[in-house]
Amino acid sequence: MAEATAPKLSVVLVSPQLEKLHAAATMTSVAALSGMQVNLFITMEALRMFLKETVEKRDFVVEGEVSRTLLAKEVPLYYQMLADAKESGDMHIYACALAADIMGWKKEEMLEIIDDVIGVSEYFGIALGGIILTM
Amino acid sequence: MAETIHADKTIDARGSYCPGPLMELIKTLKQVPVGTVVEVWSSDAGSKRDIPQWAERAKQELVYIRDEDGYAAIGVRKVK
Repeated sequence: MAEATAPKLSVVLVSPQLEKLHAAATMTSVAALSGMQVNLFITMEALRMFLKETVEKRDFVVEGEVSRTLLAKEVPLYYQMLADAKESGDMHIYACALAADIMGWKKEEMLEIIDDVIGVSEYFGIALGGIILTM
Repeated sequence: MAETIHADKTIDARGSYCPGPLMELIKTLKQVPVGTVVEVWSSDAGSKRDIPQWAERAKQELVYIRDEDGYAAIGVRKVK
């Protein structure tokens, strides 16, 4: 239905900050529902924000007034927006194998929206030919 | 006098922030037949710019933006 201006958008999430996760989720959700293929690669401390335990405890990294207001106004947060976008769009979410290995995090401990745990070279193969952003 | 276009389907996304109203609109447009006019109600000020931009890029037709009391009613026709 929709025509995208670029075929593929890849976003690498490094920071655990709620505002960055929210910005990334907003942009990638719109991209996915506009017909773009979206591939998220979640690495370093950002991956901790995709553990079931983090979300259950609402252990978010909140810096600044905007993040505090996002929580106060109870808007759908990054993991909810991504889950919603995955249902209607072409979106894939990958956890970084390095971060998972070094921290001993298993895929079962991660949110259901994580499709797979992969390495950098596999991600490059997936992201090749599209826009890549790092946040 | 301009002809008034009526929406076939209305989505009340008031109270939802960006990109909520747009996401609801896109999801609904995917489900309806070509020719259907979907109207989305948004109290998020950004929608009045963002939804027309999306419609242009997605080659869907923006048919109207009506300012109502505290929200905008934005009508988009599915053309493809």
